[in-house]
Amino acid sequence: MFSFNRLVLVLLGVFCVLIFIFYEIFSLQTTEISELTETLEEQNLEIFYIPAPRGEIYDNTNNVIASTNLESYLFINNKKISNENINTYKQLVTYNFPQLTEEEVQKIFNQKELMSKVISLENVNFEIRKNLLSYEAFEVIDLPVRNYPYESLTAHIVGYIGKPTNEEINLNEKVRGNNLIGKTGLEKSYENELSGTPGQLIFDNNEIVKYIPPQKGIDIYTSIDIQLQEVVKESLVQGIELANKNFISPNPVERGASIVLNIETGQINAMVSLPDFNPNLFVSGISEFDYKVLNRKQAFNNFAIQGLYPPGSVFKVVAYWLASSESIYPEDMTNRSDHINCEGNLSFGFDDGSKQIYNDWKLVGHGKVNLTSAITQSCNVYFWDIALTIWRNFGNEEGESILQEYARELGFGKKTNIDLPFESTGIVPDRNLFEYWRINQPERVRPEGWLGGDLMNLIIGQGAITTTPIQVANAYRTLLTGENLAPHLNKNTKLEINNVVNVSDEFVLTLLKDLNTVTSSGGTAFKAFSILGKTADDTGGKTGTAQNPGDRNNTSWFVGIDSISNPKYIIVTVIDEGGSGSAIAAPVTRRIIQSLRGLELTSVEFGEVTE
Amino acid sequence: MINRRITILGPEGTNLYILVQFFLLNFISWFTLFTSSENIEFKTSDVLSRQIIFSIIGLAVFFITTYLSIETIYKFINPLLVVSLLLLVGLRFTTPILGVRRWFDLSNFGIPFFFQPSEFIKIAIVLFLAKSISEKQSILISLTVSLTVLSFIFIQPDLGTAILIGSTIFLMFFVSRINIRSASLILILLIIIFFIFLEIGLLGQYQINRITDFFSGQDFSQQQSRLSIASGGIFGNYFSQNFNYDVFVPVQTTDFIFSLFAKNFGFAGSMILLFLWFLFFLRVSLIIKSSDLEFEKYILSGFIILLSIQIIINLLTVLGLIPLTGMAFPLLSLGGSSILSTSIIFGLINRVFIENNVVL
Repeated sequence: MFSFNRLVLVLLGVFCVLIFIFYEIFSLQTTEISELTETLEEQNLEIFYIPAPRGEIYDNTNNVIASTNLESYLFINNKKISNENINTYKQLVTYNFPQLTEEEVQKIFNQKELMSKVISLENVNFEIRKNLLSYEAFEVIDLPVRNYPYESLTAHIVGYIGKPTNEEINLNEKVRGNNLIGKTGLEKSYENELSGTPGQLIFDNNEIVKYIPPQKGIDIYTSIDIQLQEVVKESLVQGIELANKNFISPNPVERGASIVLNIETGQINAMVSLPDFNPNLFVSGISEFDYKVLNRKQAFNNFAIQGLYPPGSVFKVVAYWLASSESIYPEDMTNRSDHINCEGNLSFGFDDGSKQIYNDWKLVGHGKVNLTSAITQSCNVYFWDIALTIWRNFGNEEGESILQEYARELGFGKKTNIDLPFESTGIVPDRNLFEYWRINQPERVRPEGWLGGDLMNLIIGQGAITTTPIQVANAYRTLLTGENLAPHLNKNTKLEINNVVNVSDEFVLTLLKDLNTVTSSGGTAFKAFSILGKTADDTGGKTGTAQNPGDRNNTSWFVGIDSISNPKYIIVTVIDEGGSGSAIAAPVTRRIIQSLRGLELTSVEFGEVTE
Repeated sequence: MINRRITILGPEGTNLYILVQFFLLNFISWFTLFTSSENIEFKTSDVLSRQIIFSIIGLAVFFITTYLSIETIYKFINPLLVVSLLLLVGLRFTTPILGVRRWFDLSNFGIPFFFQPSEFIKIAIVLFLAKSISEKQSILISLTVSLTVLSFIFIQPDLGTAILIGSTIFLMFFVSRINIRSASLILILLIIIFFIFLEIGLLGQYQINRITDFFSGQDFSQQQSRLSIASGGIFGNYFSQNFNYDVFVPVQTTDFIFSLFAKNFGFAGSMILLFLWFLFFLRVSLIIKSSDLEFEKYILSGFIILLSIQIIINLLTVLGLIPLTGMAFPLLSLGGSSILSTSIIFGLINRVFIENNVVL
């Protein structure tokens, strides 16, 4: 039976305690202000921050690609060091840790901070630790140590950490307390999540009065597949070796990038940039020499998102899309199956009086070419004809930049907003840009400004245009899905839609079919893909060989699609000065597709030299 | 069973007093956190934004709970207890955070939030006891279940919550007109168990430290918190600004938030806050008196006992009168689990009011 009287009794008890609490609060709050001020003025609070462990970074099967371990360190509480005992402590340190030089010991005792770090106690036995701790100025503090188990394999994805700069240190208390900040890669873009809340040792008048333990940062789960990443890196390395072996070039081939982008999710499953570095070097501070050597090799650049290259023929899909949706074909043609007769060059006069002959990469010509076979054989003449149509239809009017608009819809000339820092923007040139350059950077353009020839260069991905590999991958993904998403590595971020493009299902199917002809018999990448046998009938792609100014060899591009019937991944491979897309980048991509489709891996073999 | 028409404010006849009380307490919490924020950014890492998000989720939880009839709740008592207990057991397999196994880190699932199951076992145990006592089930079974729950909280370790739940269990038996001899026996049993835990070292270094620290003088946070409360004066610093020193209290926005509140709103503010709560307890007691159902009486008294003891433990800690406990002030402290569990309690109380046709 419920007894209301007893409840009243309980509540009365509660009431009494509350009255007591009221009284306590009241007497506190009516203390003389002078008395309170005095207490506070006697306080001399100082805080020593203990860095918090950073959150860990995982790949998509929960392999740790950036871990944090705690290591015990011996510290000296400088508030407890006086002129009387300093020598005792110096002797203790020198005696127990003979590996420290006299200079280092001096440095430890000359620090002005509250606590100075002496040495790691990881390999020091328990007895010695206990003995040391019996001296009041010694404290043991666990410090987090970052480790990247896959070393250089994930270097450009995770990035590295380092001491904050003067500007960074003023950002917030977290940065000051941790005294480490992400400098590049995921370490930088997810700094807020990864960095934990530093712990505090609070000193009041030289005594430690409070210890607040540090709190670990948040873990990041990425879409990277570490096994695939390994295959991609191997393949790229083989491709670079192959280029060095087969092309005579004034500069050795060293730089390249490869990306595997998931079509459905917009997530990155692998991303490799070469040359790379071991991010563990930065954990304890990289030597100036190592830094300079790596920096000269451009090892710190993530070429997958920072490298700017003319896209060459991989850009032709933009004109392909434009031709299909606007029905703009070479002059006198009305549909995609009408043929031109490619004789290996195009000679024409412009309204402005200039007359030029443009030579296709295949001097004997491609013969009868329609939109499909222009992609299959990468025929420049066909696309130049489309450029001429645009030039003649629109002239110097509004709408003349229709090709550039289509390119921008696919994300060229803009950041993809991938969740990695320092992404490059790239350039999609047009009349306005040339005009701007003519005034501000006259060395970059001819005084005449934007001409028909510039449009003809642009349509085959040459001239002033520059793109990043991630832009190219994302552009192909946009064409296949109708949605320009910001690619990302963190599986738990919200999807950011850059823009939506209008592509019909029918167009996507035709595009896939035409991309398939590139890796099939008669296509530019057939030789590179022929080892796949029947499977090659279900793969697709586009080769690209972009000319570079000066004596630099061509940039080698390939955009691959793992399957035509069930497309899941877009693979983009770029090798700077790799010579030819179909010869080098195509077989590299083919090896990655072998891995994606679970086929036996065969080594990267030299393909056919085309554009 | 009474079928209720559903209106915007929940089933017809949502108790306005409880709703207003709920809003008011949440708002006080926002305002207190606002006074400590320098620049407000809308991010999940900003304390004020976090609290507002939790309050909004709390409001939704309040209404959802209100929709559940007492009959439905009755059916779900045992499953609720089992799930909460399993979560408590699951904590044993987590990696310790700040030296204790008290939270599930949900950031692994993309939610930047630490989930604290002991906040929810409080509700489950009150409901369970309300059912078993009102149905006059064997005291032995109720005690066994209670002690199992208590032991899992002890070993987290979480001394504060263990004492809170222990005393709630005892007082719920106490109000059931159980004879004084049995009541004393239960009390003695609970105290003996506490010392057994202490003796066999199940309390862990962390709690021993807290207890021994206390006997060797107040903890630094508690000293600072006293100074912070004192600096509030009668009307608080926020409105009168009569005191120019900033008192540093480590991690002030969670368990020590009352010291921030008292600093900003002084004795007057503290009076108003505690008066609001006292009024609430009084209002609920009146329903207990008028309700016909034993089960409802036990639910309501269980919850007001729970909340009042929680507030008392928090205030005594903040005032430095008992050792550090790590107990949140309901609806004032920053913390999602605490807000959500208090919202459920308010929703359940609201439901009992509705079923007793109390509108205002």
